[in-house]
Amino acid sequence: MVASLRDNDELQLNAYCDGELDPVSASEFERRLASDQPLKARYDRLLSLRQAVRSLPQLDMPAGLQARIQSRLDAERPGNVTVLRQRSWSFQALAAAAVLGAVVSSAVMMTIERYGQREEVASEVVAGHIRGLLAPQPFDIASSDRHTVKPWFTARLPESPRVPDLTAQGFALLGGRVDVIGRDPVATIVYKHAAHTVSVTTLRPGQSVPEQAIAGYNVRSWSDAHFTYIAVSDLPSADLATFERAFSAEAPVPEIK
Amino acid sequence: MSVPIVQNKDERSAFDEVFLPHLPEAYRLAQWLTGNASDAEDIVQEAALRAYRGIKTFGAVNARAWSLTIVRNTAFSWLTKNRPKTVVFMNDLSATEQQELEREGPHGTRIETPEETALFKADAEEVQKAMAQLPAQFREVIVLREINQMNYRDIAEITNVPIGTVMSRLSRGRQLLIALLGDRK
Repeated sequence: MVASLRDNDELQLNAYCDGELDPVSASEFERRLASDQPLKARYDRLLSLRQAVRSLPQLDMPAGLQARIQSRLDAERPGNVTVLRQRSWSFQALAAAAVLGAVVSSAVMMTIERYGQREEVASEVVAGHIRGLLAPQPFDIASSDRHTVKPWFTARLPESPRVPDLTAQGFALLGGRVDVIGRDPVATIVYKHAAHTVSVTTLRPGQSVPEQAIAGYNVRSWSDAHFTYIAVSDLPSADLATFERAFSAEAPVPEIK
Repeated sequence: MSVPIVQNKDERSAFDEVFLPHLPEAYRLAQWLTGNASDAEDIVQEAALRAYRGIKTFGAVNARAWSLTIVRNTAFSWLTKNRPKTVVFMNDLSATEQQELEREGPHGTRIETPEETALFKADAEEVQKAMAQLPAQFREVIVLREINQMNYRDIAEITNVPIGTVMSRLSRGRQLLIALLGDRK
Protein backbone atom coordinates (compact mmCIF):
# COMPACT_ATOMS: atom_id res chain seq x y z
CA MET A 1 0.00 0.00 0.00
CA VAL A 2 2.75 2.40 0.97
CA ALA A 3 4.70 1.40 -2.11
CA SER A 4 1.80 2.12 -4.44
CA LEU A 5 1.25 5.52 -2.85
CA ARG A 6 4.90 6.29 -3.38
CA ASP A 7 4.67 5.13 -7.00
CA ASN A 8 1.73 7.39 -7.57
CA ASP A 9 3.64 10.31 -6.05
CA GLU A 10 6.52 9.57 -8.33
CA LEU A 11 4.25 9.63 -11.40
CA GLN A 12 2.64 12.86 -10.29
CA LEU A 13 5.99 14.41 -9.58
CA ASN A 14 7.18 13.50 -13.07
CA ALA A 15 3.98 14.72 -14.70
CA TYR A 16 4.26 17.97 -12.77
CA CYS A 17 7.86 18.51 -13.90
CA ASP A 18 6.76 17.80 -17.47
CA GLY A 19 3.89 20.28 -17.31
CA GLU A 20 1.38 17.51 -17.91
CA LEU A 21 -0.84 17.96 -14.86
CA ASP A 22 -4.12 19.77 -15.35
CA PRO A 23 -4.24 23.20 -13.64
CA VAL A 24 -6.23 21.97 -10.65
CA SER A 25 -3.97 18.99 -9.89
CA ALA A 26 -0.91 21.15 -10.55
CA SER A 27 -1.89 23.75 -7.98
CA GLU A 28 -2.79 21.01 -5.51
CA PHE A 29 0.61 19.48 -6.11
CA GLU A 30 2.30 22.85 -5.63
CA ARG A 31 0.63 23.18 -2.26
CA ARG A 32 1.96 19.77 -1.25
CA LEU A 33 5.38 20.66 -2.57
CA ALA A 34 5.49 23.76 -0.37
CA SER A 35 4.89 21.78 2.80
CA ASP A 36 6.52 18.41 2.06
CA GLN A 37 10.32 18.68 2.38
CA PRO A 38 11.27 15.21 1.11
CA LEU A 39 8.97 15.65 -1.89
CA LYS A 40 10.55 19.03 -2.60
CA ALA A 41 14.00 17.42 -2.44
CA ARG A 42 12.94 14.81 -5.00
CA TYR A 43 11.49 17.55 -7.16
CA ASP A 44 14.76 19.52 -7.07
CA ARG A 45 16.67 16.37 -7.88
CA LEU A 46 14.50 15.69 -10.93
CA LEU A 47 14.97 19.26 -12.11
CA SER A 48 18.72 19.04 -11.80
CA LEU A 49 18.70 15.71 -13.64
CA ARG A 50 16.68 17.35 -16.41
CA GLN A 51 19.15 20.21 -16.49
CA ALA A 52 22.04 17.76 -16.76
CA VAL A 53 20.39 15.80 -19.60
CA ARG A 54 19.31 18.89 -21.49
CA SER A 55 22.73 20.47 -21.33
CA LEU A 56 24.41 17.44 -22.88
CA PRO A 57 26.27 18.44 -26.03
CA GLN A 58 24.21 17.70 -29.15
CA LEU A 59 25.82 16.60 -32.35
CA ASP A 60 24.84 18.81 -35.25
CA MET A 61 23.46 17.19 -38.32
CA PRO A 62 26.25 16.55 -40.86
CA ALA A 63 26.26 19.33 -43.43
CA GLY A 64 25.74 17.11 -46.47
CA LEU A 65 23.03 14.84 -45.07
CA GLN A 66 20.08 16.68 -46.53
CA ALA A 67 21.72 16.83 -49.94
CA ARG A 68 22.52 13.11 -49.80
CA ILE A 69 18.91 12.33 -48.95
CA GLN A 70 17.71 14.55 -51.80
CA SER A 71 19.92 12.85 -54.34
CA ARG A 72 18.93 9.42 -53.09
CA LEU A 73 15.29 10.34 -53.58
CA ASP A 74 16.09 11.70 -57.04
CA ALA A 75 17.26 8.20 -57.87
CA GLU A 76 13.90 6.80 -56.76
CA ARG A 77 12.00 6.68 -60.02
CA PRO A 78 8.27 6.51 -60.10
CA GLY A 79 7.16 2.92 -60.01
CA ASN A 80 10.18 1.74 -58.08
CA VAL A 81 8.07 1.10 -55.06
CA THR A 82 5.66 -1.19 -56.81
CA VAL A 83 8.41 -2.84 -58.85
CA LEU A 84 10.09 -3.78 -55.60
CA ARG A 85 7.07 -5.70 -54.46
CA GLN A 86 5.56 -6.94 -57.69
CA ARG A 87 7.74 -8.95 -59.97
CA SER A 88 5.38 -9.99 -62.74
CA TRP A 89 2.49 -7.73 -63.33
CA SER A 90 0.16 -8.15 -66.24
CA PHE A 91 -0.51 -5.16 -68.45
CA GLN A 92 -4.02 -5.11 -67.14
CA ALA A 93 -2.82 -4.80 -63.58
CA LEU A 94 -0.40 -2.08 -64.62
CA ALA A 95 -3.17 -0.10 -66.25
CA ALA A 96 -5.29 -0.50 -63.14
CA ALA A 97 -2.37 0.65 -61.05
CA ALA A 98 -1.93 3.75 -63.18
CA VAL A 99 -5.55 4.69 -62.63
CA LEU A 100 -5.28 3.99 -58.93
CA GLY A 101 -2.07 6.00 -58.86
CA ALA A 102 -3.83 8.99 -60.36
CA VAL A 103 -6.63 8.72 -57.82
CA VAL A 104 -4.27 8.35 -54.89
CA SER A 105 -2.11 11.17 -56.15
CA SER A 106 -5.00 13.61 -56.38
CA ALA A 107 -6.03 12.58 -52.88
CA VAL A 108 -2.51 13.39 -51.67
CA MET A 109 -2.64 16.75 -53.38
CA MET A 110 -6.00 17.58 -51.90
CA THR A 111 -4.77 16.58 -48.50
CA ILE A 112 -1.70 18.70 -48.89
CA GLU A 113 -3.63 21.67 -50.21
CA ARG A 114 -6.02 21.39 -47.32
CA TYR A 115 -3.06 21.09 -45.01
CA GLY A 116 -1.55 24.26 -46.47
CA GLN A 117 -4.79 26.17 -46.12
CA ARG A 118 -5.19 25.03 -42.58
CA GLU A 119 -1.68 26.12 -41.69
CA GLU A 120 -2.67 29.52 -42.98
CA VAL A 121 -5.88 29.55 -40.96
CA ALA A 122 -3.93 28.64 -37.82
CA SER A 123 -1.40 31.41 -38.30
CA GLU A 124 -4.12 33.97 -39.02
CA VAL A 125 -5.92 32.96 -35.86
CA VAL A 126 -2.67 33.29 -33.88
CA ALA A 127 -2.06 36.68 -35.52
CA GLY A 128 -5.50 37.77 -34.26
CA HIS A 129 -4.56 36.65 -30.76
CA ILE A 130 -1.24 38.54 -30.88
CA ARG A 131 -2.94 41.67 -32.20
CA GLY A 132 -5.40 41.38 -29.34
CA LEU A 133 -2.57 41.16 -26.81
CA LEU A 134 -0.81 44.18 -28.32
CA ALA A 135 -3.96 46.31 -28.27
CA PRO A 136 -4.85 48.14 -25.04
CA GLN A 137 -7.25 45.26 -24.43
CA PRO A 138 -7.59 41.89 -26.18
CA PHE A 139 -11.31 42.36 -26.91
CA ASP A 140 -13.70 44.80 -28.60
CA ILE A 141 -16.48 44.28 -26.12
CA ALA A 142 -15.49 43.91 -22.49
CA SER A 143 -17.87 41.96 -20.39
CA SER A 144 -17.81 39.12 -17.98
CA ASP A 145 -21.50 38.64 -18.69
CA ARG A 146 -22.14 36.18 -21.47
CA HIS A 147 -25.57 37.72 -22.02
CA THR A 148 -23.82 40.89 -23.14
CA VAL A 149 -21.19 39.27 -25.35
CA LYS A 150 -23.53 36.96 -27.25
CA PRO A 151 -25.91 39.73 -28.50
CA TRP A 152 -22.91 41.86 -29.42
CA PHE A 153 -21.75 39.08 -31.75
CA THR A 154 -25.25 38.48 -33.08
CA ALA A 155 -25.51 42.15 -34.05
CA ARG A 156 -22.31 41.99 -36.09
CA LEU A 157 -21.94 38.53 -37.55
CA PRO A 158 -24.11 36.23 -39.63
CA GLU A 159 -23.38 33.34 -37.30
CA SER A 160 -22.49 33.72 -33.69
CA PRO A 161 -21.43 31.07 -31.23
CA ARG A 162 -22.70 30.44 -27.77
CA VAL A 163 -20.62 32.19 -25.15
CA PRO A 164 -20.26 29.84 -22.20
CA ASP A 165 -19.45 31.11 -18.74
CA LEU A 166 -16.47 29.08 -17.51
CA THR A 167 -15.66 31.00 -14.34
CA ALA A 168 -16.33 27.92 -12.23
CA GLN A 169 -13.79 25.98 -14.29
CA GLY A 170 -11.13 28.67 -13.79
CA PHE A 171 -11.54 30.55 -17.06
CA ALA A 172 -13.07 33.98 -16.53
CA LEU A 173 -14.89 35.55 -19.48
CA LEU A 174 -13.18 38.81 -20.52
CA GLY A 175 -15.15 39.69 -23.61
CA GLY A 176 -15.29 39.21 -27.36
CA ARG A 177 -13.82 40.60 -30.54
CA VAL A 178 -14.24 40.18 -34.26
CA ASP A 179 -11.25 38.74 -36.12
CA VAL A 180 -10.95 38.52 -39.87
CA ILE A 181 -9.81 35.09 -41.07
CA GLY A 182 -9.35 34.91 -44.81
CA ARG A 183 -12.04 37.40 -45.81
CA ASP A 184 -14.58 36.41 -43.20
CA PRO A 185 -15.27 38.30 -40.01
CA VAL A 186 -15.57 35.72 -37.24
CA ALA A 187 -16.32 35.75 -33.54
CA THR A 188 -13.49 35.37 -31.03
CA ILE A 189 -14.31 34.89 -27.36
CA VAL A 190 -11.63 35.91 -24.87
CA TYR A 191 -11.05 34.27 -21.50
CA LYS A 192 -8.51 34.76 -18.78
CA HIS A 193 -6.85 32.04 -16.71
CA ALA A 194 -4.52 33.46 -14.03
CA ALA A 195 -2.19 35.71 -16.05
CA HIS A 196 -2.93 33.96 -19.34
CA THR A 197 -5.28 35.05 -22.07
CA VAL A 198 -7.14 32.43 -24.10
CA SER A 199 -8.70 33.41 -27.43
CA VAL A 200 -11.29 31.08 -28.95
CA THR A 201 -11.95 31.86 -32.59
CA THR A 202 -15.04 30.30 -34.12
CA LEU A 203 -15.00 29.27 -37.76
CA ARG A 204 -17.37 27.40 -40.01
CA PRO A 205 -17.14 23.67 -39.21
CA GLY A 206 -14.60 21.46 -40.92
CA GLN A 207 -11.63 23.77 -40.54
CA SER A 208 -9.91 22.25 -37.55
CA VAL A 209 -6.14 22.52 -37.55
CA PRO A 210 -3.53 20.21 -36.03
CA GLU A 211 -2.44 20.88 -32.50
CA GLN A 212 0.71 22.97 -32.78
CA ALA A 213 2.70 25.87 -31.46
CA ILE A 214 2.99 29.02 -33.56
CA ALA A 215 5.23 31.88 -32.47
CA GLY A 216 5.28 30.46 -28.97
CA TYR A 217 1.50 30.16 -28.65
CA ASN A 218 -0.21 26.82 -28.34
CA VAL A 219 -3.01 26.19 -30.79
CA ARG A 220 -5.73 23.63 -30.25
CA SER A 221 -8.86 23.12 -32.23
CA TRP A 222 -12.00 21.05 -32.10
CA SER A 223 -15.36 21.08 -33.80
CA ASP A 224 -19.00 20.47 -33.16
CA ALA A 225 -21.83 20.35 -35.67
CA HIS A 226 -21.94 24.13 -36.01
CA PHE A 227 -18.47 25.53 -35.54
CA THR A 228 -14.80 24.73 -35.58
CA TYR A 229 -13.18 26.29 -32.53
CA ILE A 230 -9.52 27.29 -32.49
CA ALA A 231 -8.12 28.16 -29.08
CA VAL A 232 -4.85 30.09 -28.83
CA SER A 233 -2.96 30.78 -25.65
CA ASP A 234 0.43 30.81 -24.00
CA LEU A 235 -0.96 28.21 -21.59
CA PRO A 236 0.75 24.80 -21.72
CA SER A 237 -0.98 22.46 -24.15
CA ALA A 238 -2.28 20.28 -21.31
CA ASP A 239 -4.09 23.30 -19.85
CA LEU A 240 -5.47 24.17 -23.23
CA ALA A 241 -6.83 20.62 -23.39
CA THR A 242 -8.56 21.24 -20.06
CA PHE A 243 -9.98 24.42 -21.50
CA GLU A 244 -11.33 22.53 -24.50
CA ARG A 245 -13.07 20.04 -22.21
CA ALA A 246 -14.60 22.82 -20.14
CA PHE A 247 -15.71 24.76 -23.20
CA SER A 248 -17.20 21.76 -25.00
CA ALA A 249 -19.01 20.63 -21.89
CA GLU A 250 -20.62 24.04 -21.56
CA ALA A 251 -21.42 24.65 -25.21
CA PRO A 252 -23.10 21.47 -26.44
CA VAL A 253 -25.93 22.96 -28.52
CA PRO A 254 -25.56 26.23 -30.38
CA GLU A 255 -28.59 28.45 -30.05
CA ILE A 256 -31.07 28.49 -32.86
CA LYS A 257 -31.78 32.00 -33.98
CA MET B 1 2.67 7.99 -69.27
CA SER B 2 2.68 11.32 -67.54
CA VAL B 3 0.65 10.34 -64.51
CA PRO B 4 3.37 8.65 -62.44
CA ILE B 5 5.74 11.55 -63.04
CA VAL B 6 3.23 14.04 -61.73
CA GLN B 7 2.52 11.73 -58.87
CA ASN B 8 6.21 11.49 -58.11
CA LYS B 9 6.55 15.23 -58.06
CA ASP B 10 3.60 15.59 -55.68
CA GLU B 11 4.97 13.03 -53.33
CA ARG B 12 8.29 14.76 -53.41
CA SER B 13 6.85 18.12 -52.48
CA ALA B 14 4.76 16.45 -49.79
CA PHE B 15 7.93 14.85 -48.46
CA ASP B 16 9.73 18.20 -48.52
CA GLU B 17 6.91 19.78 -46.59
CA VAL B 18 6.25 17.03 -44.09
CA PHE B 19 9.52 15.26 -43.33
CA LEU B 20 12.38 17.60 -44.23
CA PRO B 21 11.68 20.31 -41.64
CA HIS B 22 12.24 17.70 -38.93
CA LEU B 23 15.53 16.39 -40.26
CA PRO B 24 17.82 17.93 -37.61
CA GLU B 25 15.57 16.57 -34.88
CA ALA B 26 15.36 13.21 -36.61
CA TYR B 27 19.13 13.05 -36.69
CA ARG B 28 19.42 13.93 -33.03
CA LEU B 29 16.89 11.25 -32.08
CA ALA B 30 18.65 8.61 -34.16
CA GLN B 31 21.97 9.59 -32.69
CA TRP B 32 20.64 9.17 -29.18
CA LEU B 33 18.98 5.86 -29.93
CA THR B 34 22.09 4.35 -31.52
CA GLY B 35 24.69 6.31 -29.59
CA ASN B 36 26.73 6.81 -32.71
CA ALA B 37 26.94 9.48 -35.41
CA SER B 38 27.47 7.38 -38.52
CA ASP B 39 24.77 4.86 -37.60
CA ALA B 40 22.47 7.81 -37.00
CA GLU B 41 23.15 9.08 -40.49
CA ASP B 42 22.33 5.68 -42.02
CA ILE B 43 19.13 5.51 -40.04
CA VAL B 44 17.99 8.98 -41.01
CA GLN B 45 18.65 8.24 -44.69
CA GLU B 46 16.74 4.99 -44.47
CA ALA B 47 13.91 6.70 -42.56
CA ALA B 48 13.76 9.46 -45.17
CA LEU B 49 13.34 6.85 -47.87
CA ARG B 50 10.60 5.11 -45.89
CA ALA B 51 8.88 8.42 -45.27
CA TYR B 52 9.02 9.28 -48.96
CA ARG B 53 7.58 5.94 -49.98
CA GLY B 54 4.91 6.13 -47.34
CA ILE B 55 4.08 9.81 -47.66
CA LYS B 56 0.51 8.86 -48.63
CA THR B 57 -0.02 7.45 -45.17
CA PHE B 58 0.61 10.87 -43.64
CA GLY B 59 -2.75 11.91 -42.20
CA ALA B 60 -2.09 15.67 -42.13
CA VAL B 61 -2.32 15.68 -38.37
CA ASN B 62 1.09 16.00 -36.79
CA ALA B 63 3.99 16.05 -39.22
CA ARG B 64 6.58 16.10 -36.47
CA ALA B 65 5.23 13.08 -34.62
CA TRP B 66 4.68 11.23 -37.90
CA SER B 67 8.26 11.87 -39.03
CA LEU B 68 9.83 10.97 -35.70
CA THR B 69 7.73 7.79 -35.52
CA ILE B 70 9.34 6.61 -38.74
CA VAL B 71 12.81 7.51 -37.48
CA ARG B 72 12.17 5.73 -34.21
CA ASN B 73 10.87 2.59 -35.89
CA THR B 74 13.73 2.57 -38.37
CA ALA B 75 16.20 2.93 -35.52
CA PHE B 76 14.61 0.06 -33.63
CA SER B 77 14.61 -2.32 -36.56
CA TRP B 78 18.21 -1.34 -37.20
CA LEU B 79 19.12 -2.01 -33.57
CA THR B 80 17.33 -5.36 -33.59
CA LYS B 81 19.26 -6.38 -36.67
CA ASN B 82 22.67 -5.02 -35.75
CA ARG B 83 22.72 -5.04 -31.98
CA PRO B 84 20.06 -7.54 -30.94
CA LYS B 85 21.42 -7.78 -27.42
CA THR B 86 20.77 -4.15 -26.59
CA VAL B 87 17.08 -4.30 -27.41
CA VAL B 88 14.69 -6.15 -25.18
CA PHE B 89 11.28 -5.85 -26.70
CA MET B 90 8.52 -5.50 -24.20
CA ASN B 91 6.27 -7.58 -26.40
CA ASP B 92 8.68 -10.49 -26.24
CA LEU B 93 8.33 -10.66 -22.49
CA SER B 94 5.59 -12.23 -20.42
CA ALA B 95 3.16 -9.92 -18.67
CA THR B 96 4.90 -10.47 -15.34
CA GLU B 97 8.32 -9.83 -16.81
CA GLN B 98 7.04 -6.69 -18.45
CA GLN B 99 5.65 -5.49 -15.19
CA GLU B 100 8.87 -6.26 -13.41
CA LEU B 101 10.88 -4.36 -15.94
CA GLU B 102 8.51 -1.40 -15.80
CA ARG B 103 8.42 -1.39 -12.06
CA GLU B 104 11.83 -2.52 -11.04
CA GLY B 105 14.22 -1.71 -13.80
CA PRO B 106 16.29 -4.06 -15.88
CA HIS B 107 18.28 -6.00 -13.34
CA GLY B 108 15.44 -7.45 -11.34
CA THR B 109 16.29 -5.35 -8.35
CA ARG B 110 14.12 -2.61 -7.04
CA ILE B 111 15.73 0.69 -7.91
CA GLU B 112 17.09 2.29 -4.80
CA THR B 113 17.55 5.93 -5.54
CA PRO B 114 20.13 7.23 -3.12
CA GLU B 115 18.46 9.90 -1.00
CA GLU B 116 21.67 11.83 -0.59
CA THR B 117 22.11 12.38 -4.32
CA ALA B 118 20.64 15.82 -4.26
CA LEU B 119 21.77 17.77 -7.27
CA PHE B 120 23.75 16.77 -10.30
CA LYS B 121 26.65 18.76 -11.49
CA ALA B 122 26.39 18.69 -15.24
CA ASP B 123 29.27 16.30 -15.78
CA ALA B 124 28.39 15.63 -19.38
CA GLU B 125 30.50 12.51 -19.78
CA GLU B 126 28.99 10.70 -16.82
CA VAL B 127 25.45 11.64 -17.77
CA GLN B 128 26.10 10.46 -21.30
CA LYS B 129 27.44 7.13 -20.03
CA ALA B 130 24.45 6.67 -17.78
CA MET B 131 22.10 7.42 -20.67
CA ALA B 132 23.89 4.83 -22.78
CA GLN B 133 23.42 2.24 -20.05
CA LEU B 134 19.65 2.69 -19.96
CA PRO B 135 17.62 -0.01 -21.70
CA ALA B 136 16.43 1.29 -25.06
CA GLN B 137 12.78 1.74 -24.15
CA PHE B 138 13.62 3.88 -21.14
CA ARG B 139 16.21 5.86 -23.03
CA GLU B 140 13.87 6.66 -25.89
CA VAL B 141 11.15 8.20 -23.71
CA ILE B 142 13.73 10.30 -21.89
CA VAL B 143 15.27 11.46 -25.16
CA LEU B 144 11.87 12.26 -26.68
CA ARG B 145 10.89 14.17 -23.56
CA GLU B 146 14.12 16.00 -22.68
CA ILE B 147 15.97 16.34 -25.96
CA ASN B 148 13.08 16.55 -28.42
CA GLN B 149 10.87 18.12 -25.73
CA MET B 150 7.70 16.36 -26.83
CA ASN B 151 4.57 16.06 -24.74
CA TYR B 152 3.28 12.75 -23.37
CA ARG B 153 0.66 12.37 -26.06
CA ASP B 154 3.17 12.64 -28.88
CA ILE B 155 5.62 10.34 -27.10
CA ALA B 156 2.83 7.78 -26.73
CA GLU B 157 2.06 8.07 -30.42
CA ILE B 158 5.68 7.73 -31.48
CA THR B 159 6.53 4.81 -29.24
CA ASN B 160 3.14 3.19 -29.81
CA VAL B 161 2.32 2.60 -26.15
CA PRO B 162 -0.43 4.04 -23.91
CA ILE B 163 0.23 7.34 -22.12
CA GLY B 164 0.27 5.50 -18.79
CA THR B 165 3.20 3.43 -20.00
CA VAL B 166 4.99 6.57 -21.17
CA MET B 167 4.54 8.00 -17.68
CA SER B 168 5.81 4.93 -15.88
CA ARG B 169 8.76 4.55 -18.25
CA LEU B 170 9.74 8.19 -17.80
CA SER B 171 9.54 7.88 -14.07
CA ARG B 172 11.48 4.58 -13.98
CA GLY B 173 14.00 5.79 -16.52
CA ARG B 174 14.74 8.88 -14.48
CA GLN B 175 15.07 6.85 -11.30
CA LEU B 176 17.47 4.54 -13.09
CA LEU B 177 19.53 7.50 -14.26
CA ILE B 178 19.61 8.91 -10.75
CA ALA B 179 20.70 5.52 -9.40
CA LEU B 180 23.38 5.14 -12.08
CA LEU B 181 24.71 8.61 -11.46
CA GLY B 182 24.52 8.17 -7.71
CA ASP B 183 26.63 5.00 -7.90
CA ARG B 184 29.51 6.90 -9.34
CA LYS B 185 29.78 9.33 -6.50
